[in-house]
Amino acid sequence: MRLDPLRLGLLALLFAILFLPIVAVGLNAFAVEWAGSVLPVGYTWAWVAQTVNDSRFAQAVGNSLILALGSLLASSLTCVPAILAAHCYYPKLDRWLGGLVVLPYAVPGIVMALGLLKLYAGNYGIVLTGSPWLLIFGYIPLGASLYYMPMKSSLNAMAVQDLLEAGYLLGVGDLKLQWRVILPCVRQGVVIGLILNFTLVISEFVYANLLVGGLFPTMQILMYVLRGGSGHLLSVLIMVYFVIVLIATTLVSLIVMRRKEAL
Amino acid sequence: MTRNRWMILAMAPLFAVLLLFEVLPLLAVVASSFSRGGAWSLGNYAELIASGYHRNAYVTSAWLSVLTTVIGMGLALPICRLLQRVPDGVQTMILTYSNIGANFTGFPLAFAFIIMFGLSGSFTLLLKAAGLIEDLNIYSIGGLVLVYSYFQICLGILVIFPSLSAITVEIEEAARLLGVSRLTFWRRIGLPILAPSLIGAAVLLFANAMGTYATAFALAGGNATLVTIHIGELVAGDVFSDPNLADALSMILVVTLVVPILVEQLWFKRRGRHAS
Repeated sequence: MRLDPLRLGLLALLFAILFLPIVAVGLNAFAVEWAGSVLPVGYTWAWVAQTVNDSRFAQAVGNSLILALGSLLASSLTCVPAILAAHCYYPKLDRWLGGLVVLPYAVPGIVMALGLLKLYAGNYGIVLTGSPWLLIFGYIPLGASLYYMPMKSSLNAMAVQDLLEAGYLLGVGDLKLQWRVILPCVRQGVVIGLILNFTLVISEFVYANLLVGGLFPTMQILMYVLRGGSGHLLSVLIMVYFVIVLIATTLVSLIVMRRKEAL
Repeated sequence: MTRNRWMILAMAPLFAVLLLFEVLPLLAVVASSFSRGGAWSLGNYAELIASGYHRNAYVTSAWLSVLTTVIGMGLALPICRLLQRVPDGVQTMILTYSNIGANFTGFPLAFAFIIMFGLSGSFTLLLKAAGLIEDLNIYSIGGLVLVYSYFQICLGILVIFPSLSAITVEIEEAARLLGVSRLTFWRRIGLPILAPSLIGAAVLLFANAMGTYATAFALAGGNATLVTIHIGELVAGDVFSDPNLADALSMILVVTLVVPILVEQLWFKRRGRHAS
């Protein structure tokens, strides 16, 4: 490839875009003092040590992980069987499902949060606000498309009806066919859905802040709390968050690459 | 067919959750946007239209979204073209990190930009020293343009890149052999092929910017003149609390996002039918 100045500039811009923000946060996490100079005047582990020893940090990371675990359990148990059943047996309902799962792309989080507050803040005798359960259920619609799209792309690429017919001829029931034949064929899609949902849950701020807030502080809520301080602790927290997301995203891209090779 | 009728039960939990935590909340917002003091009314909408304060927020959100969509698309498209020509490993790596970038919103992103472009940020100092700028206020609307552009470019790369595979090396070489210039190629062949995906991407980017709350809130707090921030303030703010007005403002926002999506879908469905 020829690299004329224009392309070189674009490439440089791309790398700057991708890496500068996290480098800046990373430097600040280790900077002794960083104000009024282009680079920090010195580096230290003190902020990392202070953050790790801060009880709020352990609580926030713990809460985020508990929330993520609960969400993944709830979302996979609801979404995966429904997507399989809709695709295999109920194509009409599948069209509805397809529409409902992409709805959150057209309705901003703040609007959905407003609706949830209306229903579950006690106006109708149900109080879920302040409880992580509201987040666990609220995140299912937000993340359903992240299961739906990769699973559908696998399902559309295989002859599901032929497989089912072959199974029926052999006298195998639907449950066993789904469990032993169809699900194994779409498991990569399920895993991608799980990881993307994990990233969604630990990155989400709007629901966490408006619906639950300080009663169940997650990493994102702690970032909000720490925003006014020196910024060093906030930087350490962001780095921890970034590393978690980096690991999750790298896993997804490894799976996608393996998928491409298999095709 | 011997299918098990009970399989419909497999869909029940998800449909129940979608109903309770997506459809009903949305309907509740729609209903109460038309309610005032316990009676049906268009008063919330009338108040919004009359209010310069909220109209300003809407206009600011709209042009911020259009501008950062143009910036996002304008930079993501050439970047994707460049990515087509780099080795597979580099390509995967860049796409992976774009995915992080598109999700790197809210406090992490806002704070990274404050470190770089804040009052005593590295880049602010460098740019000042170079005499390129006199002053930079990351907390202003200009700051929002900068920060929004970041995730818009990343999202643009993610959604545009897959569609570029429609422009194959063969098409380009065929055009070159016929002596078609690069400009003509893009005007007559490249863009028409990509138009549906590019317009779809632009609609997605616009909706993404228009609906952004966390990043703007993290950067400018409750002071930014943006639709989403105003909704947040009307719901949870200390000073102005008027949930019904928040509902009406939300509805206007949702309609603004749904209309382009519907137009895009109908337009291309009709064209698709026409072509076949």
